[in-house]
Parts: sequence; C-alpha cells; structure tokens
Amino acid sequence: MRHFILGALALIFLAGCATPPPEPGSAASKVVVMGKFKGIAVGAIRVARENGFLTAKVQLSNITSSNQMMYYRFAWLGADGFPVGDEETWKVLNLYANQATFLPAIANLPQAADFRLEVKTP
Amino acid sequence: MFARFSFLAVIAALASGCANTSPVIGGKNISYGDTKAVELVTNEFGSTDLQMIAESMTRSLAQSGILQGRPVVQVYDVKNKTSEYIDTREITTSIKTQLMKTGTARFASDNTDMQSQVDQLKLQNQSGLYKKSTVSKTGNMVAAKYRLEGSISSIVKRSADYKDVFYKFSLQLVDVESGLAEWMDEKEIRKTTER
Repeated sequence: MRHFILGALALIFLAGCATPPPEPGSAASKVVVMGKFKGIAVGAIRVARENGFLTAKVQLSNITSSNQMMYYRFAWLGADGFPVGDEETWKVLNLYANQATFLPAIANLPQAADFRLEVKTP
Repeated sequence: MFARFSFLAVIAALASGCANTSPVIGGKNISYGDTKAVELVTNEFGSTDLQMIAESMTRSLAQSGILQGRPVVQVYDVKNKTSEYIDTREITTSIKTQLMKTGTARFASDNTDMQSQVDQLKLQNQSGLYKKSTVSKTGNMVAAKYRLEGSISSIVKRSADYKDVFYKFSLQLVDVESGLAEWMDEKEIRKTTER
C-alpha cells in the first residue's frame, strides 16, 4: 500500500514537472527550434492575408545585454498542414543588445494557410 | 553431396556478407550539402544572396496586388553595376520561376529567347516542312503589359582589419503603355569580413 502511494505521488510530481505541449494556434506552436536557441525570445505573432498571400510578423527580442545573431526561415504550410512550394533559404538576423524587432514574412504561394518559423542560434 | 552443398552455402553467405550495400561510390572528401544553407565561405556575392534577393523581390511583387489578372511581363536583364562578375541572368531566372509558381504573372519571350522564338516561327511558316493545320501562325504573339528591370550595385570598403561589402538590388515594374513605374522594391545586404 505504501509503495502504491509513493508511486502515485512520484507520478503526480513528474506530471507537474513535464513541459506541456504548446496550445494549437499559440505563438509557441508556430516556432520550431532547430537545436540551440538561446538569448532570444519569440513574442507576439500577427498573421493576416493581404492580396491573397498570407503574411506574418513575428516579434523577436534579444533578452541579453550583448549582440546576438540567429538563423531563421519560414516553412509555409497548406490547409492540410503539409508544406507548399519549395523550402526557403536560411537567413541571418542580427539583434543588438536588448533590441526587440519584428520579423516580416510573405508566403511563397497563395495556397499557404499556415506557417512554422524555424530558428537556430550559432 | 551434403558436404558440397554446405560448402557452396558457406561461400554464398560469405560473398553476400562482403557485398557493398551502400548506394555511394567513393566520397571520402565529398559530400552533398543543404542548398538552402547560409553560405559564408567568402564575402563575395554568393548563393544565399541570390536566393534571398529572388525570394524577397518575388514575394513583394506577388503580394503587392499590382499583378491582377495574370498580366504578361517582359523581363530584362539585371544591370550589374558592381565590381564583381555576377551572373545576373540567374537572379532574373529565379524571380521568373518563383513568380510563375505563384501564378500571378505570365512572361513574354525576353531578349535572349526572342531569337529562338522568331526562328521557330519562320521555320514553321516559311520552310514548307510542316502540316499547315499544325503550324503556329505569325502575328499572334502576346505583347507585354509590363516590363521588369533592375540593377545591382555595390560599395566595397577595405581597411587593414575589415572588408565590408554593401549590395543594393533594385527592381521595378514599369507599365509599357504609360511608362509609369507601378511597383518598386529593393533589397540591401551587408557582408563584413574581419581579417
């Protein structure tokens, strides 16, 4: 009985420590960290459709007191959740110490209905 | 009989074990890389610059809303005003390809394709080699509503410690009839090497 209670308590503690998956549609669900991503925080994301193309603006903040560089690219997805068109090229973004900026993007094709932002720091 | 069969089986097993199952020949110092990776080998104009320019210009133009009803566009070569050799035709080819994929524009034969187009029309209409019902008639080519032209320039600065290259790519869409520039955009790229 004692073992059972201890086991149950351990399970409760472990469940409490586990990181919950990001909610669908939330900003966190749109960001895919490729390996390491340190010193930069992803904030609000604004998505709109302008002249038939999906556009996105992603807020990025350097949360350190030194300049940071990151690599990023957008992956555009169709209504079925699968990629549309070719992959984007990786790009470099430099952020000064404590700088906050908005990363603008336009979809590659009118069929794009959603996106993922792939990010990585060196 | 059994001994001979066993011997053959062992030989077959050994031979199949030694067979190369990898679909690679050679390749000690050669590898295939990501074509979309950021290329920082030198600070001259590179693949990432070409891809970034084409991506940025195409999307800006496609999303601008100016290309309503899939107008016909004539693409002119990008003028290279830098001190480097840059195959600017590859920039326009990438822009054309990506715009074509968006379905927002159609393209008239540009100055390099035009000679082949004229030659083919002449061959079909003047040689007498082809069945008349299959011959493409002259006088039906579609004229461009817009022309797309651009330039790339650079500013290069060197010191004992740094080499800084600043590229500026400009592209404009001009209405052929009115001569008005209906859309313009530019992409700036700075590359610095610390020696």
